Amino acid sequence: MSGIRKSKAAVLWGLNQQWKIEEIEIHPPKTGEVIVHWRAAGLCHSDEHLVTGDMVPPEEFWPLMGIESFFPIIGGHEGAGVVVEVGPGVTSVVVGDHVSASFVPSCGRCRYCSTGRQNLCDNGAKTFVGGMITDDTHRHFVNGQPVTLMAKVGTFSEYACVSEQSIIKVEKDIPLECVALVSCGVATGWGSAANRAGTQPGDTVAVVGIGGIGMNAVQGARMAGAKRIIAIDPIEFKREKAMEFGATHTFPSMADAMMSVMEMTYGQMADRVIMTPGVLHGEMMTEAMNLAGKGSTVVITAISPMTSETANINLFNLAMWNKEIKGTIFGSLNPRADIPALLDMYRAGQLKLDELITKTYKLEDINEGYEAMRDGTNLRGVIVNA
Amino acid sequence: MKSKAAILWETNKPWSVEEIELDDPKAGEVLVEMKASGMCHSDEHLMTGDLPFALPIIGGHEGAGIVRKVGEGVSWLAPGDHVVFGFIPSCGRCPSCSTGHQNLCDLGALMGGGRQITDGGSRHHARGQELGLMCLLGTFAHHTVVNEASCIKVDDDLPFDKVCLLGCGVVTGWGSAVYAAEVKPGDTVAVVGVGGIGANAIQGARLAGAKRIIAIDPIEFKREKAMEFGATHTAASMTDALALLQEVTWGTMANKVILTMGVGSGALMAEAMALASKRGRVVVTNIHPAMEMGVTMNLLDVTLMEKQVVGSLFGSGNPRADIPKLAGLYREGQLDLDGLVTRTYSLEGVNDGYEAMRAGENIRGVLVYE
Repeated sequence: MSGIRKSKAAVLWGLNQQWKIEEIEIHPPKTGEVIVHWRAAGLCHSDEHLVTGDMVPPEEFWPLMGIESFFPIIGGHEGAGVVVEVGPGVTSVVVGDHVSASFVPSCGRCRYCSTGRQNLCDNGAKTFVGGMITDDTHRHFVNGQPVTLMAKVGTFSEYACVSEQSIIKVEKDIPLECVALVSCGVATGWGSAANRAGTQPGDTVAVVGIGGIGMNAVQGARMAGAKRIIAIDPIEFKREKAMEFGATHTFPSMADAMMSVMEMTYGQMADRVIMTPGVLHGEMMTEAMNLAGKGSTVVITAISPMTSETANINLFNLAMWNKEIKGTIFGSLNPRADIPALLDMYRAGQLKLDELITKTYKLEDINEGYEAMRDGTNLRGVIVNA
Repeated sequence: MKSKAAILWETNKPWSVEEIELDDPKAGEVLVEMKASGMCHSDEHLMTGDLPFALPIIGGHEGAGIVRKVGEGVSWLAPGDHVVFGFIPSCGRCPSCSTGHQNLCDLGALMGGGRQITDGGSRHHARGQELGLMCLLGTFAHHTVVNEASCIKVDDDLPFDKVCLLGCGVVTGWGSAVYAAEVKPGDTVAVVGVGGIGANAIQGARLAGAKRIIAIDPIEFKREKAMEFGATHTAASMTDALALLQEVTWGTMANKVILTMGVGSGALMAEAMALASKRGRVVVTNIHPAMEMGVTMNLLDVTLMEKQVVGSLFGSGNPRADIPKLAGLYREGQLDLDGLVTRTYSLEGVNDGYEAMRAGENIRGVLVYE
């Protein structure tokens, strides 16, 4: 079939508004594009960052970015579904294939894709704005008006037209809810600990903030052989869950953790500190750096407000103790290699995915799901479309 | 003073347990009352001549004990301290020690002679002759005098009959997986030979997050033990493992292959290389006969598949960092040392212990000195 397709989608019309369920129109896929029926979408904190504005460029920048408005935008960047239509020239998938979304596209040809850093693919530059990666034109319309897709996948829609670069074929024996979680939160958290932080067997690792990312940083640290995993979160439910995912100690705050980490490591402190709070504010860095020992690595995974320009870091200590601070996107993994690899670890029973899903929601109930996230009662809520 | 030790007077003869004369420690040396010693395959290699060290020699290089006397200038050890010996000394000052490769300390060059590092002399005597020390240690004895460069201080609460294994076999196997092979979470790892080294390579691979660990050994008892240490699959031979790997990895094969056989053989390398994936890393930890010069290896396959062959001594670890680190992992329950010790023997039982090793009945036999 090829023609205009109608779909329900959760659309954000402006800052600090609720997600609104709209009927959208999707135009047929052009060269290199496919239509995916999203069957599962994770309620990730990054979509909430669109609502709060932490991840929205200030209005005065919009003309520089070549857009009239950041809104409306269809949310959702963590998802999995089934290919229902392919445009001309598509070679990596056929109709009926199960696919994972990839919130960073991977063109396979740019400098970064060509050197094992697909998480930094140059096509990621247009993550939040404009039309298709392929030709900049739009395929999605609401009330006749073009609408952008979050991370160029817009998984808070029943259907979406996406570039082949943004989807990764997966095996059909894995539940699509699990695939959805791996496509962003799991890979990001796991890779932050197991890959970017360089966790080694015997290390002491502190994970600050135990949500959908931090919980997977705990799993990654466990799989990388950490001796101690200190999970820090103010919410008791999350601390309890962290122990189930492999943490060895928990504390409600960095301040509470400080003396105990000092004691248990004989003063050497953590070898790796992974920052995965809901929102990272610059002043939190003082305590984060103090948790980190000589020669340690501090990984910044969390989103900080986009326009925030300051962080409290003692650069004397950074230099004298040979510490390093590393940013990471997607856990510094390669979507095309690592999404299937993580799913195979799930298949082998080494990676917990089912246990991450606290509750599933219908698309219509998305605001209820985010309410639960804000209340801290969900590790991960997942939207499931029939 | 007088003590007792197991001495090898000539190759292919049993260990002779007899009285020895022990001199006082000189500057930089310490007298240690031994409490336990592992029976490693490398001492067997002394007996067979695969390790051509000077004889006569007191065997044993995997030991733990209590410092009883310190020589002049030894500032960081005192009588009463518990120590594990590193089978390679670490001076802390040579280029290798200074760049995180203590396992390659320049003092290792003196190991073949078996005489004291300080003055090239011997503190151990029997039948009127000077005795060499295996790895400059000689742990098959109730007492020994060694250089401080061979001593690693450990906490007093650790059991000697377990931590003695940290001096050689455990770090060698564990480090072969963690450091030399660089096992990463999600890897498929093949361990060829499940003895005192291979069992710890399995433990290292497990802790480093391997998804699949294929343990290969002809002896059923060892394959069963391998599963207890964390193997996910076992095979009786590399031929069987080849078929198994093809199936479970969908043809991509093992990311890491670790060779920990009793004695390696150049003729077996082709089979080992065939187990490795594209960019697969093959680690040679086991001892090969010293004079062997030929191996079967398809070098076109090495180039086109970018396979890598890596040698590893002491698991490429640093004795002063890794012996305490692994002791810590043992204390936290993340490293099984108890399960490694199949049987214990008195010093007089050393030949029985090696008989059991040759028969494949022991993962590790340990000498315990009361």
